[in-house]
Amino acid sequence: MEFKQTQLDNGLTIIAEVNESAQSMAAGFFVRTGSRDETAHVGGVSHFLEHMMFKGTDRRNAFDVNREFDELGAHYNAFTSEENTVYYGAVLPDFQTRMLDLLGDMLRPALRREDFDLEKNVILDEIARYRDTPSYRVYEKLMTQHFQDHPLANSVLGTPESIRGLNRDEMQAYFDRRYSPGNVTVVGVGKLHWDAFVKKTEGMCSHWKPFEVSREINPWSGLGTRRTIVDDKVAREHVGIMSPAPCGQDDARFAAQVLATIFGDATGSRLFYALVEPAIADEAHTSYNPLDGTGTFLTFVSTDPDRAARAVEIAHAELRKFMEEGFVHTELQAAKNKIASAATLQGELPMGRLVAVGFDWIYRREYIPLARQIDMLFAVSADEVVNIAQQYDLTATTVLGLGPVKQL
Amino acid sequence: MPEEFHITEFPNGLTLVAQQMDSVTSTAVTLRLSAGARFDPTGAEGSAAVLTDWCMRGAGHRNTHQLNDALDALGCQHYESVQSAHITFATAQLGRNLPAVLEILATIVRQPTLGDDTFAPCRELVRQDLDALEDEPASKADLLLRENFYPDPLGRCVYGRGESLAALTAEALRAHAQRLMSPQGTILAVAGDLDWGQLTDLAADHFGDWSTTQIPESTLREPTGGVTHVPKKSAQTHIALAHPTVPIAHRQYYAARIAATVLSGGMSSRLFTEVREKRGLVYHVSSRYDSLRNLAGMFTYAGTMPPKAQETFEVTVGELRRIAEGISAEEMARAQTQLKSTLVMQGESTTARSGALASDWYHLRRLRSLGELSRAIDTITVEEVLGHLHDCPAEKFTVLVIGPDPVDTAGVMT
Repeated sequence: MEFKQTQLDNGLTIIAEVNESAQSMAAGFFVRTGSRDETAHVGGVSHFLEHMMFKGTDRRNAFDVNREFDELGAHYNAFTSEENTVYYGAVLPDFQTRMLDLLGDMLRPALRREDFDLEKNVILDEIARYRDTPSYRVYEKLMTQHFQDHPLANSVLGTPESIRGLNRDEMQAYFDRRYSPGNVTVVGVGKLHWDAFVKKTEGMCSHWKPFEVSREINPWSGLGTRRTIVDDKVAREHVGIMSPAPCGQDDARFAAQVLATIFGDATGSRLFYALVEPAIADEAHTSYNPLDGTGTFLTFVSTDPDRAARAVEIAHAELRKFMEEGFVHTELQAAKNKIASAATLQGELPMGRLVAVGFDWIYRREYIPLARQIDMLFAVSADEVVNIAQQYDLTATTVLGLGPVKQL
Repeated sequence: MPEEFHITEFPNGLTLVAQQMDSVTSTAVTLRLSAGARFDPTGAEGSAAVLTDWCMRGAGHRNTHQLNDALDALGCQHYESVQSAHITFATAQLGRNLPAVLEILATIVRQPTLGDDTFAPCRELVRQDLDALEDEPASKADLLLRENFYPDPLGRCVYGRGESLAALTAEALRAHAQRLMSPQGTILAVAGDLDWGQLTDLAADHFGDWSTTQIPESTLREPTGGVTHVPKKSAQTHIALAHPTVPIAHRQYYAARIAATVLSGGMSSRLFTEVREKRGLVYHVSSRYDSLRNLAGMFTYAGTMPPKAQETFEVTVGELRRIAEGISAEEMARAQTQLKSTLVMQGESTTARSGALASDWYHLRRLRSLGELSRAIDTITVEEVLGHLHDCPAEKFTVLVIGPDPVDTAGVMT
C-alpha cells in the first residue's frame, strides 16, 4: 500500500492509494460543493448539475458518455450530499486511462438546453420517488428543522417548485462559481499506475481555469425543537432525532463514532435492547455524521403510530442514562470491534476505500492507511467517549415525527 | 488469479464449500438452511421470518444479550434473512475469528433456545416489517409481483399476512423448527482468509453429528399471474412486471444474463436509454434476472409520476420485446465486458464470494470458477442470445401496479 500525491499548477490535487494486490482500480472526482453552497432560489442545483454531467461535453453527447462507461465494464455513478459531489467509477486496471479521459471530460459539461429540459423530468420523478419513501423524507425535513438558518438546512434534491423554476444559465453560473480546479480532488485507489494516472489527469484538467471558491463555515448546535409532520397516507411513524456532534475536522471523531455504535448500532446496542428487542420499534439506530465545521448524531426510529410517543420517550431516557451513567468496558470493546471489522471489509474493495481516502483528504488534508485508522480507533479511551457525551449534550435534540401521529 | 475451491459433503446432508482467497484478512460465511418461506405451513405464513429472528434470541448456553455480545466481541458482522427456499445466516469477520464464529453459528441453528418469553416480540417485529411495506411501495410492488408470478408457495411474501402471523404460536413454530432446521440440504459456504484443513475439522466438530430430518416437499399451485392494480395515493405510479425465463442450471442461462445486461446492464442499456434518457419518463427503470431452482423470471420495475404511467408501461414493454429483433455487435461486446467486470469485482469481496459459492452449490451442485464464467460469457454469440429470446419471448406478463390509477394493459397483454 503506497500513498501518492501531487498538485497541478491550477490547484487541482491528485492523490492515490496504490494497492498492487487489488484486482481492480477506482477513481473519483471529489468536488467540494453541495446543497449548503446553494442560494435559496437555485435549491437542488448541485444535484441536478450532477445529473447533467452525464449529458455530455463538446466532445461527447449523453449517449457517448453512458456507452463508453459501459464499454469499460465500469461500475460508475455519482452522488450529491449537503457538502460534496462525487463522480466515480471502478474498472479493471487496463481501463484506467480511458476512464480518466471520460471522467475528466465530463466535468466540463456542455449543459445543452434540450438535455437540461428533458432531465428536469427525471429530477422531478426522483423527488416524487423520495416522497413515497418516508424514511428519506424525515431525514431531509429533520436537517431543515435542526439547521434552521444554517446552509446545511438546504435540501439536496430541492423542491418541485425550485427545480421547475431553475434555468440552464443559473446552473452554468453555479458551475462557474463552484467547479474551480482548486475545489476538486482526483482520487485513485487500487491497482493503478501512478505516473500514468497523473499524466492523464493533467492532460484532462490542466487547462481548467482556477478561481476563488469559498464556503461559509459556522458551527451550529440546533435549537432543540420538537414537531411532527402529519401525513395520514404514511402507515408508520418515522422519527428522526438529531443532536450536535464533533465536526469532520475534529480528532474526537473516532470517539464520536464509538459513542454512536455503543448507543445505537443496529444490533446489540443500548437502543437495540431498549426498542427493538422488545418490539417497540422495528428499526432504531444511531449514526455519527461528521460535517464541515459541525456534525450530528442522528437516531432514526420506525414504530407503530400508537407507540411512537413512548418510543421517543424511551430513546431520550436512554440518552440521558448514557450521559449520566456511561457504559462498561465490554461495550466499548464490542463497539471498537464492530467498527474495525466493518472498515476492514470495506477496505478490501477499491470502491470501499475510495470514499474513505477521498474524504480524509478533503476534510483534513491527511492520508490515513486503514491499519493506522484501526490503531487510532482502538486507542480511543472510555474517558474520551464520556467527554463527548458531556461536551455535546446528547439530550439537546431536534425531534421530528413523520406519519399519522399529531403530537410526540 | 488462481482459485482454490474445496467441497466436503457430510453424511448427514450438509455440504461445506469453500474458497481460499489471497490478500484478504476477512472471512465470510453463508449458512443456508432449507427452511425458507416456501416451507411455511399453510395458514402459518411468515413462520420462517419469525423463526429467523427467534433463533437470535438465545442459543446454547447464551441468552440474547450473551449471544450478541459474543458476536460483537469477535467483530462479527452478521445478517439473517429469509428467501423462498432458505433461511440464511451470513457473517463476516477477521479470518482469525472464524473458529469462534462457527461455534456460535452452530449453536444458533442446532440449539436455539426458542423461549416462550421471546416469541411474541419476534412475531411482532415481523408484523411491523409487513406494515412497513406500506411506506416502501417499490419494494411492496416487487414482493406482490413475486407472489403472483411464481407458483404458490414459491413466491410467497416472507413476512406472511396479518392473520397468519396472529395465528402463529410458539408451540407450533417450535415444532416447525424441529422439522425444518436440519442438515439436510444445508450449505455452509466460506470464502476468504482460511485454512481448508482446519475448516473441515471445525465443520465436522460443529455440524458433523447434527442429526438429519427429511424436508417435506410442497405441492405447487398454478401462479395467479394477470394484471393487478393496488390503489394508493402515492406520488409515483410503481409499475412492476415479470415474464418467464430460464433458471441458472439451464443451457441458455448465459444468454439470458446477456439479454438482461443489454436491457438493463448500465446507463447505455436499452431501458435506461429509451425510457429515461430519451423520454425523461422515469428516474428509476431496471430489469433483473431472478432464479429459483427450477423457475426464473425477468423482473422489471419502473416508477413514474401518474400522468406518464401509461406511456412508461408501453415504452418499457416495447423495449423488452424489441431486443428480440436484434442486438448490435457493439452492444453485445459491451454486455460481455460488463458481465465479466462485475464478476471480477465481486470476486474481490469475501461476502459476495461466499454468497456465490452457496448459490452455485444450491443451483448446480458444483462451483464455477471465474475462468469458467469468463469463457462462457466470451464464447456466447448474438445468435444464441436471439435464439434464447425467441424461446423465452417477453410475453405472458404478470403485472402489478401500485398507484392512484391502473395502467391499461389491453394493447399489450395479448
